[in-house]
Amino acid sequence: MKKFSLLSIIITAALLLSACAAPAPTAAPAETAAPETPATEAPVATEAPVATEAPVEEITLVVWDQFYRDVESQVMETLNAEFAAAHPGVKIERVVKTLDDLKVTLKLALSEEDGPDVAQVNQGRSDMGAMVEAGLLLPLNDFAATYNWSERFSASVASRNSFTEDGKTFGSGNLYGVSPTAEVVGVYYNKTLFEANGWAVPTTFDEFEALLATIKAAGVTPISFGSLDGWNAIHEFSAVQHLLVSLDYINNFVYGVNNVSFDTAENQEAARVMQDWVDKGYFTEGFPGIGYDDSNKTFKAGEGAMTITGSWLTGELLTDTDQEFGFFLLPGNPDQTRLAIGGVGVPFSIRKGTAHADLAAEYLDWMISPRAAELWAGVGMLPAMPMAEGAAVEVDPLFTDTMVAWNTINNENAVGHYIDWATPTFYDSIVAELQKLFGKMTDPAAFTAAVQVDYAAFLAGNQ
Amino acid sequence: MKIQQRWPGESRFKGWFYLLPGLAIYLVFIFFPILSTIRNSFYKWNGFSGTREFIQLDNYARLLGDAQFIKALTNNFIFIIFYSIIPILIGLMLASLLGRKPIRGMTFFRTGLFLPQILSMVVVGVTWRWIFNPTFGLLNTGLRAVGLDSLTRPWLGDFQMALPSVGAIGTWVMYGFCMVLFLAGMQRIPEDQYEAAQLDGAGGFRQFLHVTLPNLRAELGVALVTTVIAALRVFDLVYVTTRGGPGDSTLVTGFLVYRSAFQQNQLGYASAVATVMTILIFVISLVILRFQSRQEA
Repeated sequence: MKKFSLLSIIITAALLLSACAAPAPTAAPAETAAPETPATEAPVATEAPVATEAPVEEITLVVWDQFYRDVESQVMETLNAEFAAAHPGVKIERVVKTLDDLKVTLKLALSEEDGPDVAQVNQGRSDMGAMVEAGLLLPLNDFAATYNWSERFSASVASRNSFTEDGKTFGSGNLYGVSPTAEVVGVYYNKTLFEANGWAVPTTFDEFEALLATIKAAGVTPISFGSLDGWNAIHEFSAVQHLLVSLDYINNFVYGVNNVSFDTAENQEAARVMQDWVDKGYFTEGFPGIGYDDSNKTFKAGEGAMTITGSWLTGELLTDTDQEFGFFLLPGNPDQTRLAIGGVGVPFSIRKGTAHADLAAEYLDWMISPRAAELWAGVGMLPAMPMAEGAAVEVDPLFTDTMVAWNTINNENAVGHYIDWATPTFYDSIVAELQKLFGKMTDPAAFTAAVQVDYAAFLAGNQ
Repeated sequence: MKIQQRWPGESRFKGWFYLLPGLAIYLVFIFFPILSTIRNSFYKWNGFSGTREFIQLDNYARLLGDAQFIKALTNNFIFIIFYSIIPILIGLMLASLLGRKPIRGMTFFRTGLFLPQILSMVVVGVTWRWIFNPTFGLLNTGLRAVGLDSLTRPWLGDFQMALPSVGAIGTWVMYGFCMVLFLAGMQRIPEDQYEAAQLDGAGGFRQFLHVTLPNLRAELGVALVTTVIAALRVFDLVYVTTRGGPGDSTLVTGFLVYRSAFQQNQLGYASAVATVMTILIFVISLVILRFQSRQEA
């Protein structure tokens, strides 16, 4: 008996220790964790051209991507086939991984002689920043000039894929990647309910709050929400925060420059609005105990008039429901900014040691071409770059809504940030503090002060 | 009597070679990772970069002053109540109900009550998340159905109730294991001990106290060690249900290790937490076993 127990202790102890001996998958950032279901059937019917056995030099371009879901994968296959067809002698060897898997394996693969020529590199300090610091990625500035990439996306989008050469400063310095897809956080509303009750899409924040009161008075939950998973609480708070702060502030804050603070009047005001909405019962009853997916399930089934989340939900809301949905940006008052949380998907980067840098750059250019935009839109995903004039893509009105929203903030240079990119520990700190805020365990001033402790510690350590 | 163990001419070291594969697996997958974890705990390292900074015991010093670690450790000890003490009590009760006399459908009860133990913790967690769901969950719906609306709450998101709620899931998982363990032990107890006790005038409860309980000492030791270890290293259940929230009210050290190592790129610090927990589990288990064997002597 004793022997058995001792053995089990040893095994348990061993498992506990070995669990953290080797680097394991980092969790995907919350905003990318949401499922993106296709809006429409892939319209792709292009036959992959037969590789011509031309006597020209044979080049194999190795590409690692994380578009593993069916329709996404089809878009990539089509793009690759068309690229190969346009370049005789070029073969594309595609390696598909999930984002988690990619994040774990890529760092080592890029440091090898025969690593991938092109790969999708996750944004943020712990991934792209660390790889830049280790000298694994090729700066793309020259290619950006050659191909005129500044016409495809705004400076604000480019800075999300930029780092200084030492990998320490995020948001400036060299460009290290280009993103094919985009995301924007706004308000989904139940058109069916809105029409039945004669509610109108609000154009100012005051109208929005008035609408919340009207909906509540009609006995409907104004905002479908569940904060059990934590990450989407950031979006509720930050969507309102984005209307109050300047683009400079949010850039400085996320990129960790110019010593800004989280402990500001604007952030306290956004926190106050959150508690006000809790007090007035604007959120789903019992929201602290409801998960993100469960909350969306009930919203999709027609409970709740609106929900504040990102454009990735569009595909989900198009299928298996008898309700019709629309999307609008959380409106600001005339004196407020019109910033919205948004960003671009995982970018393509080039390995520094590649022997085919020019070809790889051409491939990147193809990934953000109007043709690519058309294919992504065709499967219900927001392309980060404009489509060709007059491109005919059959899309749902809801998808059009999200695309209009993205184009609006992109054109107005009003693309904000996921604030949890600010520091490696910021996500955990702000989620815990937001749950306390929503649970009325803290007040707005104490909330911003507590979050600032995390931020200040990071700034001090990163100097 | 000495038994011939070897064939003539056979090497006396042959037996050791049979151990090699197992030993190799043990060394590669358990022993070296342990050593490397302990080593990592003396470094400031993000887990992937080529450089790491030797900082001696700084990670351990930081741990002592880390309010989150203290909070997580406290929660782990509270979990002992839910993972260990309550399941053992329930297990004892069920075992004495089911174990003394053969009853109809015994296999059914034994299997049914043991079932939670064999389910994957992720499945358990997801299922209980539904049960606890404030809008359509079984618990709140049931409370409303019997008019107890005032008792409904967002269980897993409630600052007071989240920890007991997650703990209750642990109880549900562990009690079946304790019960089966005790049932097996009770089958070993000679019937004449009960008869003797009966002749001396002992009722059912006194029989339980003076015959059943002392005879189950070995099983109690195993149950205690296993469940206490489970309480101290709980991770999956918290990961699936609350991720340590709301705030840090269900934070446990296992989750802290995961978060520091893989989300915050602080592998050195995470290793220090893991090392401390391993030593703690080791010591507590030894104390329990020591206590048990001294009583036996």
